[in-house]
Amino acid sequence: MKSVKRFLTRVFNSATRRAQEERLREEIAEHIALQTAENLRAGLSTIEARRQAMLKFGGVEAMKEDYRAERGILFIENLLGDLRNAGRTISRMPGLAAVIIVSLAIGIGVNTTIFSWIQMILFQPLPAVTGASNFLLVEPRSDTAGYPGASWLEYRDLQTQVPALRDVVASQMVPFNVGEPGKTERTHGQLVSGNYFSALGLKPAIGRFIRPEEAERSGTEPVVVISYDYWQTRFRGSPTALGQTLRVNDRDLIVIGVAPRDFQGTMVPLKFELWVPATMTPALLGGVRVLEDRTSRAFSLIGMLKPGAKPQEAQAEFTTAMAQLARDYPDASAGMGGEVLPFWDSPRGPQRLIISGLAILQGVMLLLLLAVCGNTANLMLARGSTRQREMAVRVALGAGRWRIASLVLSENMLLAFLGAGLGAAFAVWGTTALRIAPIVGAFPILFPTKVDAFTLAFAIVLGVACGLIFSAAPALYLARLDPQDSLRSGPNTPPRSRARKVLMGVEVGLASVVLIAAALFLDSFRNARQTDPRFRLEGVLLAAYDRSGRNPDDASDREFAARLLERLRSLPDVEGAAIATNVPLDLHGIPSRPFTVQGRVRTEPGQDRAISNTVTPGYLNVLGIPLLEGTDFADMRDKAAPPQAIVNEEFVRRYLNGADAIGRSLQARKQNFTIIGVARNSAYDALGEPPQPAMYFSYRDRPSYQGEIHLRTRSGNEAALTAEARGVLRELDPMLPLYDVRTFSQHIDRNLYLRRIPARMFAVLGPLLLGLAAVGIFAVVSYAVARRTREIGVRLAFGATGSRVVLQIIRENLGAIARGTAVGWLLALVISLHAFPNSPLNLSVFLGVPTILLAVATLACWLPARRASRIDPMAALRHE
Amino acid sequence: MKQKTDVLQGTLALMVLKTLDVLGPLHGYGIARRIEQISGDLLAVNQGTLYPVLLKLEQEGAIASEWGASENNRRARFYRLTKEGRKQLQVETKDWEQTAAIIGRFFEAKAEDLP
Repeated sequence: MKSVKRFLTRVFNSATRRAQEERLREEIAEHIALQTAENLRAGLSTIEARRQAMLKFGGVEAMKEDYRAERGILFIENLLGDLRNAGRTISRMPGLAAVIIVSLAIGIGVNTTIFSWIQMILFQPLPAVTGASNFLLVEPRSDTAGYPGASWLEYRDLQTQVPALRDVVASQMVPFNVGEPGKTERTHGQLVSGNYFSALGLKPAIGRFIRPEEAERSGTEPVVVISYDYWQTRFRGSPTALGQTLRVNDRDLIVIGVAPRDFQGTMVPLKFELWVPATMTPALLGGVRVLEDRTSRAFSLIGMLKPGAKPQEAQAEFTTAMAQLARDYPDASAGMGGEVLPFWDSPRGPQRLIISGLAILQGVMLLLLLAVCGNTANLMLARGSTRQREMAVRVALGAGRWRIASLVLSENMLLAFLGAGLGAAFAVWGTTALRIAPIVGAFPILFPTKVDAFTLAFAIVLGVACGLIFSAAPALYLARLDPQDSLRSGPNTPPRSRARKVLMGVEVGLASVVLIAAALFLDSFRNARQTDPRFRLEGVLLAAYDRSGRNPDDASDREFAARLLERLRSLPDVEGAAIATNVPLDLHGIPSRPFTVQGRVRTEPGQDRAISNTVTPGYLNVLGIPLLEGTDFADMRDKAAPPQAIVNEEFVRRYLNGADAIGRSLQARKQNFTIIGVARNSAYDALGEPPQPAMYFSYRDRPSYQGEIHLRTRSGNEAALTAEARGVLRELDPMLPLYDVRTFSQHIDRNLYLRRIPARMFAVLGPLLLGLAAVGIFAVVSYAVARRTREIGVRLAFGATGSRVVLQIIRENLGAIARGTAVGWLLALVISLHAFPNSPLNLSVFLGVPTILLAVATLACWLPARRASRIDPMAALRHE
Repeated sequence: MKQKTDVLQGTLALMVLKTLDVLGPLHGYGIARRIEQISGDLLAVNQGTLYPVLLKLEQEGAIASEWGASENNRRARFYRLTKEGRKQLQVETKDWEQTAAIIGRFFEAKAEDLP
């Protein structure tokens, strides 16, 4: 305790050093005055009295030293001194310091931005919800259909049958049509269980949440909780919003509360605006039987682990519960198992894709930061060796090795912290830029990234790590100096350039890995934009409708689609119109379904699957996909034809060995179809993907309550069709909004959004890194050359030509650079082959990047070498 | 070197505490005088060494200081014993007496006393 107190006082004293010095000075003066007075009384002369007093007091300076040592902490005072010194040193080299700080800031900023994203997905998967890292997705799973979700009754059973979970909440995502007839607006919401908000531990911004008893009986409680944003935009944040009614799917719901500010629902990154009791489902979705029907698996479940419980326990209990359900309800649950999964491993949504992409991106960016560190170390080392003399003087005056090292360390640490601070500022900017991302696809998406304490800590840790990494070499180098040697020999000693050359090689190697990764990515991104999708996307307008609130049944859905198409086709500028359930090249992908086809016997276990899209007649024509064989689907109102299917070339090649497909029967979706045509392959999930087998089904056979309208324009100005298409739909049903209207090009652009972020990062960072490497090499070589002025002078004096000198200098340095590049190149090759085993090697990148890198490096060596070769030999020899 | 100062400082510290205990608040010179009077040589040449000791004691909380007027009416720093210091003095006095007794016995012991 006493030592703690003393320590604290000392820290305090270090801060108030000046006042303390003053106090001591005064005390000494008084002491000596009193002693002098005493001596005078004893009869000494004035001068002698004072002299004796001083003698008796002893050495004032030595005592002051003791006093200071007692008062403060040598370590901290040294550190403060070092920092002051570091500040002075840095301000004397503003150019170099700026390069170092900005390059570090960019490296740290990029890494922090990516990290904030990763940590959000891993540790804060639900914005505004605390402790969400202890939540698990509770996913029933079937052998054939993946993760179909849970039925309402199943959810009620599971609530009690998994004791390791303190709560289980259910939610279903629904698009609502909100507003009065004729001006409805599509708004996304979730139908939720009664314990939804309480189990998530949320507090309403105003009002209250749905009570458990409000989600007990079917259709009795017309209440709705709205999101904070919705409250702000639709109700101007007014408290009078409470108690007002919202017209949702043609029913009045009473607003009872507002969710907290950042809450966006439980299917991140989707953003929802409304929450309604799940028991309102039949009333809102036209009498569907989700609440009684065990085969209607519409709900997603989230479980909250009890304190201390492990996911494995929950998994075991869940498995047991699902097995019991399979015995009790074989019709609905036979063959069903289940998994508890963390949010980042969600089987729905882009999470899984994003997290693996981000992990790779973070890895590459950490390499980039390491390259920046290598560069900085090199710059500092080159500078450090010009300070040999200064350091030698310090050592000669009694500074210990540790003091020298700490002097260098504090300089570098100051640089590193300045870089980290600026980097954190970049990260704040970067995450904000991510947050205001546009809506992707048909669903509103918001990435709730932000820079919080955890992320800032990450930036600081990066800063410290960088500082230590690039301090190590110069600190070691300077601390090991022999003062005698350095003082005697001056700056003309042959430099110990091994460390610098190795560092230069390492830096260039790292840079080549990062540059190759960046080039590969950019190349694939550019290809993605330019690759032929193998259908005609120019001149096509896309728009969606959704009749889920209109009591749909197959017959009315079919009739609706048929009438919609008739009217759309009658518009003057429409060349062709079609409806499909899925649009290719969507971020969310097109579903693939299991099937069996006549003439195909599968030998390996599992099931054959193919991309599946349900389309109206004319779809292939609108998208310009040629039918290679057979005919298009029968008319929508045709009642005679059997269920039909069209497959693509790849389907025929892969599953029928290229044999004739027409007329074969195909079983899928629990129905029998006859193959009536073969379409050309086109892109489905991504541009430039390898050919995928695909099946098209007809809207006539499998009508859907929702659809994506595809309109091909005659004039080429597809966007101009929007108003007319809207009018057509309004005439047919005033309650239905036309939503997500976009041209096909816009559709692709938006879905490339997630790839565009890293593409932009690389496009900026790649050249920057190249520039940094060049600066690093330039600095090292010019330094090395400057040190060898005399040697070069001698050579020139003995008749060496300038170009010979230049060549030699370049050869010496390029060796290390080439070795580094080669190692980095091999590393990149291994990673690339490992990560993308199936794609062909991108030769232009793997040859181009090292070529450019070496060219830039040669230039960076050549500039200082040329300058050296032009010196006057006489001047060089007189140098020093 | 360091050890020697530590011993000196330890002894000095105890003397300072005792002085302040007996005489009440005093400035540095007063303390030095008193110690000189009683211990003779110890501070005859290096009165200055007292000040680091005073500072250490103050930082430990055994003594406190404030500005006051000295006998020739100038500003001087007066030190006084705190409650904690009094306690420390008691403990250290006891320790010291014990140590002194042990050392004393040790030096008095003659070869024939040992079994």
